[in-house]
Amino acid sequence: MLKKILYSSLLSFLITGYAHAQDSFSPIKLKSVSGKQINFAEVAASSKDTIVVVSFWATWCIPCISELDNINEVFKEKQAIKPFKFIGVAIDDSRTAQRVKPFVAGKGWQFDVLIDINSELKRALNVTDVPHVMIIKNNKIVYRHTGYIVGEEDNLFEKIKSL
Amino acid sequence: MKRILITALACISIKTTFSQQTEQPIKGHLNGSFENYSQYYMQDDKIGATAPQDKVGSNNFLKLDYTYGKFTAGVQFEAYLPSINGYYDIAANQSKLVNRYFKYTEEKFSVQVGDFYEQFGSGLIFRSYENRQIGINNALEGINIYVEPTEFLKIKALYGRTRKLFDYSNSITRGVDAEIDITKAFASKTKEHSTHIAIGGSYVGRYQEYTGPIDDYPSTVDAFATRFDLNSNDYSLNIEYVNKGKDPHFINQNSFEKGKALLINAAYTKNNLGITFTGRSLTNMDFRSERNIAIATQLPVNYVPALTKQHDYLTSNIYVYSAQLKAETGFQTDLYYSFKPNTKLGGKYGTKIAANFSTYYSLKNNNDILSGGNDKYYSDANIELKKKFSKKFEATLGLQNIFYNALVISGSGHENVTSNILGLSGIYKFASKKSLKVTLEHLWTKEDKGNWASLITEYSFSSPYSFYVSDLFNYGNSESDKQNHYYNVGASVTKNSTRFALGFGRQRAGLFCVGGVCRFVPSAYGFTATLTTSFGN
Repeated sequence: MLKKILYSSLLSFLITGYAHAQDSFSPIKLKSVSGKQINFAEVAASSKDTIVVVSFWATWCIPCISELDNINEVFKEKQAIKPFKFIGVAIDDSRTAQRVKPFVAGKGWQFDVLIDINSELKRALNVTDVPHVMIIKNNKIVYRHTGYIVGEEDNLFEKIKSL
Repeated sequence: MKRILITALACISIKTTFSQQTEQPIKGHLNGSFENYSQYYMQDDKIGATAPQDKVGSNNFLKLDYTYGKFTAGVQFEAYLPSINGYYDIAANQSKLVNRYFKYTEEKFSVQVGDFYEQFGSGLIFRSYENRQIGINNALEGINIYVEPTEFLKIKALYGRTRKLFDYSNSITRGVDAEIDITKAFASKTKEHSTHIAIGGSYVGRYQEYTGPIDDYPSTVDAFATRFDLNSNDYSLNIEYVNKGKDPHFINQNSFEKGKALLINAAYTKNNLGITFTGRSLTNMDFRSERNIAIATQLPVNYVPALTKQHDYLTSNIYVYSAQLKAETGFQTDLYYSFKPNTKLGGKYGTKIAANFSTYYSLKNNNDILSGGNDKYYSDANIELKKKFSKKFEATLGLQNIFYNALVISGSGHENVTSNILGLSGIYKFASKKSLKVTLEHLWTKEDKGNWASLITEYSFSSPYSFYVSDLFNYGNSESDKQNHYYNVGASVTKNSTRFALGFGRQRAGLFCVGGVCRFVPSAYGFTATLTTSFGN
């Protein structure tokens, strides 16, 4: 029975899928490091044509930390060239989520960090591995990249500049 | 089931109405991902790796999600051709469309029918999630509702049966969770508050029919949890307590004892300093959707991770703790600090420190979670220093001391293993996108398999290409024929969100743990290929 409902729902969905609703992300709720609830869809929508960089990372992911350390080092310098929003989305689950806030403070990172406690946003945006970085502009993902090799942050900044 | 039907139809009709009212026709969007992990097995008697009959293991996941304004629907296709060694027990080729769902989401309301993931509090009472590396997918099939009736109240309710590989459990899990934001409920609404206080409560019940001879054998296991969260800019405190009713099952040898767990997290941050403390005590917290489950990754209702540091060194992953759900008590504490650039200790580019200590013991009395016992299960003291010496070179030094009670944690080997690890890693960036990373590690121990040494070299000569060569050498094994090299060589190429990696080498047998949940990985020798891609807008 449930199968039938799901298939028919999906079918009706795909048939009418060309149309209508305002393009937006699902209103998935994340938590800021100070415990505030943040609606991801609102963050993406309210930025309009200002670039939002979303970087998925975790406290146990060495390449992620290396990437964010290197981005943080030139963060202000790059902001001065072209302003953009930068959000680090930690996919740490409750094994390590309590570390995120002190970890970020200890690192002295200057950008916002949000916690995706049960990977809801990661799943919704089909992120398979961390690190995974995406650029959102005008409420659309315009660029995404998986993995990190030292120096690849230059590609990201070049991309930001070109958009 | 009727309720699910009504809900789904209601959603569709709301959608139709909504669609007709919208003026601008804008298309919906499809996004998805594909992940393939394949191994080709070869015989290697030296490390005890046996090749299965068809010599190939391949796990494949295709996930598609279609979003149309407030509506999302999705499916996941999984194919095991057959599964890689040690991952589930799928010997023959099997594939199936799984995790089908349909979701309607408003700002303060959502309803999902089909397969869904959810978590109450920290997950100590309930968590459904997916971890493909370890082979966990305990999504519930049923209905999941989220509602915020007022600004300060959030309610979640769920009902369903748990996914059991390509089937479902013969049990029903139902639950409700409520959270009240005290700050929003009682404090001035016009003022921006720097401190947030919230309290929450959960109920989770699992029903599995019992037809056996024991009179008071419970078909339903009820669990309750309460929690308190305090968060401000500089500090936070989270406390959670869970009480689980009588839950006799295979793993706890049909014990009628209740389950209890207390979790405390505290953190303090200031400028470039971060400190955290986590304490947890528990008894009888193995909570499954079915009673006769014996494998750690099958049908968990809750999530009880090992609260220790998750290490990345090859040698650090030889002696890994996994939470003792029967009974344990312990804590961990972390310290993070950055010496600022242009200071005496920071140098030109700054110096970063991370230190962690954790220790876990038995309980003296398993009915009293506050009674610390004398049997030590595990401890880990470690410190890591990361320093950038120039724009081109940075180095990391790691030191670690581990105590590992092998008898309790892995049920085999020596009773206790004490080891010390030294790790040294350096990255040299010789051009914009060209770098060389070398990591050297050494593990000293007089017990178990003796000393280990390892070397990892990663060379990225031009983004997006990367190569690596590594070796983990058990040169200190007292049995000379077991002084094995676990060598690996591989390469990866990345283009946007697509990554392909190919490797060849030896895999060490042992517990492979992600998030504190472990599965046993047998010895293997051969090729490994991984392809991952994400797509959509």
